[in-house]
Amino acid sequence: MKKSVKRTESSIIIRNVFAYFISVLLALGVMSVIILLFGFNVSKVLKTLLTASFRTSFGFQETIKKTIPLIFTTFAFTLPFKIKFFNTGGWGQMLFGATMVAVTGLFLSNSGITLPTYIIIPLLIIVGILAGGFFGLIAGFLTAKYNINPIISTIMLNFVGVQFLNFIATNSYFKDPLEGHPITLPLPKSATLGFFGGIPHSIIFAVVSVLFVYILIKKTRLGYEINAIGYNLDAAKTYGINFPRIIMLTFFIAGALGGLAGTFEVMNIHKKLVEGFALTSGAQYGTFGILTSLIVAGNPIGVPFSAFLMSVLLVGADALQRTMQVPVELVFLSQALIVLFIVIIRQRFERGR
Amino acid sequence: MSFINSFISQTIVYTVVYTLTSLGIVVSGRAGIFNVAGEGIMLASASSGFLAAYLTGNALFGFIVGSLMGAVFGLIIAFVHEKFKVNQFILGISLVILGTGLSDLLYKLIIGVRLTAPRSPATPLVKIPLISRIPVFSAFLTQDVIVYFMYIVSIFLWWFYYRTKLGLETRAIGENPKAADVVGVNVTKRRYLSTIIGSALIGIAGAYLPISITGTYTPDISAGRGFMAIGIAIFASWRPERAILGGFLFAAIEVISFRLQVISRTIPYQFLLMLPFILVLVVMIIFNKQIEFPASVGKPYSRE
Repeated sequence: MKKSVKRTESSIIIRNVFAYFISVLLALGVMSVIILLFGFNVSKVLKTLLTASFRTSFGFQETIKKTIPLIFTTFAFTLPFKIKFFNTGGWGQMLFGATMVAVTGLFLSNSGITLPTYIIIPLLIIVGILAGGFFGLIAGFLTAKYNINPIISTIMLNFVGVQFLNFIATNSYFKDPLEGHPITLPLPKSATLGFFGGIPHSIIFAVVSVLFVYILIKKTRLGYEINAIGYNLDAAKTYGINFPRIIMLTFFIAGALGGLAGTFEVMNIHKKLVEGFALTSGAQYGTFGILTSLIVAGNPIGVPFSAFLMSVLLVGADALQRTMQVPVELVFLSQALIVLFIVIIRQRFERGR
Repeated sequence: MSFINSFISQTIVYTVVYTLTSLGIVVSGRAGIFNVAGEGIMLASASSGFLAAYLTGNALFGFIVGSLMGAVFGLIIAFVHEKFKVNQFILGISLVILGTGLSDLLYKLIIGVRLTAPRSPATPLVKIPLISRIPVFSAFLTQDVIVYFMYIVSIFLWWFYYRTKLGLETRAIGENPKAADVVGVNVTKRRYLSTIIGSALIGIAGAYLPISITGTYTPDISAGRGFMAIGIAIFASWRPERAILGGFLFAAIEVISFRLQVISRTIPYQFLLMLPFILVLVVMIIFNKQIEFPASVGKPYSRE
């Protein structure tokens, strides 16, 4: 098995891009069969699906709006994946981050404290980082101390996050009395972020996060240790890497990145906390972050591209539902198929080498 | 007395969901396949099983279709894992998302949007003449056919794994596939069979939700129970007789939290809804030392 064939970074990227497009074609094929069976016009459906993001500037802005949180939730999955652990809790970390940001912002405005923008915005971002990180840290701690698989712990925490968000949104201290649906009061204007002509300001933080994760993995001691554990856990332990510390730290950072997804959804998009958020867009970003990460096999530079392509399909799915009454679930289904095909194809490459 | 009776009979109904799902996970886990797709399988089977029951007017037909849907998922898991050696967790997570999408898609395409939700035909009840008069005990038995099915499957699986040669061999695959292979057990075949049968059991649990419990299909009807069942399977150390106890425990907690939501105004209901999920973690921390895993669960096996 061990052939000392050195593969260059670029040949791996080319293979992955190739695998991606083959998988997309296969998934679109399966989708077309389903579309045909239920009597929709295949070429019209595919055209709407793939071009909705590019036909209007509104479509493009919507795509970017989805790409930003997806980048964060994708990284939330990617980092622990490097040490062969599955953080399926991006959803919960995102929701807890969003909730605590709204709680902090509204607590300040309800108690009549007005802070200048340059203080409140960094403050809320730090709250979001710590809240998401806290949820991640619980999973990391349970793994390190009790050997509980993070798949279980993070999924359980997801449901805790959903209910906690709903509790805050319905709580009379935070709720907007004029709204029938459980929605909190809006955040003070000084605590919200704006837009560059339709593109949210939070895109800056998304770009920073890409650089952050890239530097973390490639240039720091922690990144080196993460790679060492991912490559061979036993060897890493023998060489004195403190496994419990690394796993807790990794899950904290992953959770913090997940928390940022929620932070910017509250500060930049909704500007308040909505009860159904957990189940609509929240669930989308949380779960699709996993798929997006699996598509690029944890490569940080690939993440923004993968997240963008995923958003194109999500925006296309919305357009299909609106204009042709094709259920959005059809597109969700094909996204899961894309990932299945891509992992199979990639596995074949790995074994074939 | 009637309070205890109604509490137990309601709990037994939910026990079916937790127990059959965790038994399904146990069955595949015993052969070395860690099936984390339970939530997705339940949803896909809930929707397809409900549609079959509704369209044919026969609840039993719904369970058959639900279990077939589960079996198909099991076949996919076994095939993709055994053939391509794709990581079981990656496969499981993708299938959860696939099952979630498939469930709503099927329902929307076949039923569409209706003002009144279509109702499922009733599940046949089994009433044993004398036993149905005994207080408390009768609550365990005066139930529908699937409850009896759960009892029989639990007992059968215990007998199979601990009293038969075939069962011993299957457990050996989960512990050490190489050793089992050396003595002539067909590892791949057993893994296929175990995963397909296990997923079919999960499928029946999924179909039970809309057909027997709520009477109609709603999106996300499994509400995380497929994930909790993984916790139960682990907490039960992959032993079928403990899985039914774990299933009963979590069903009781769920029923208690329903009832508290009705009576209590001091505890916000969202915290009651969180309770079972937190409890999974608490139970796993408390019993951490006693939990045993089949040694090879989650790991691929190839003969070279």
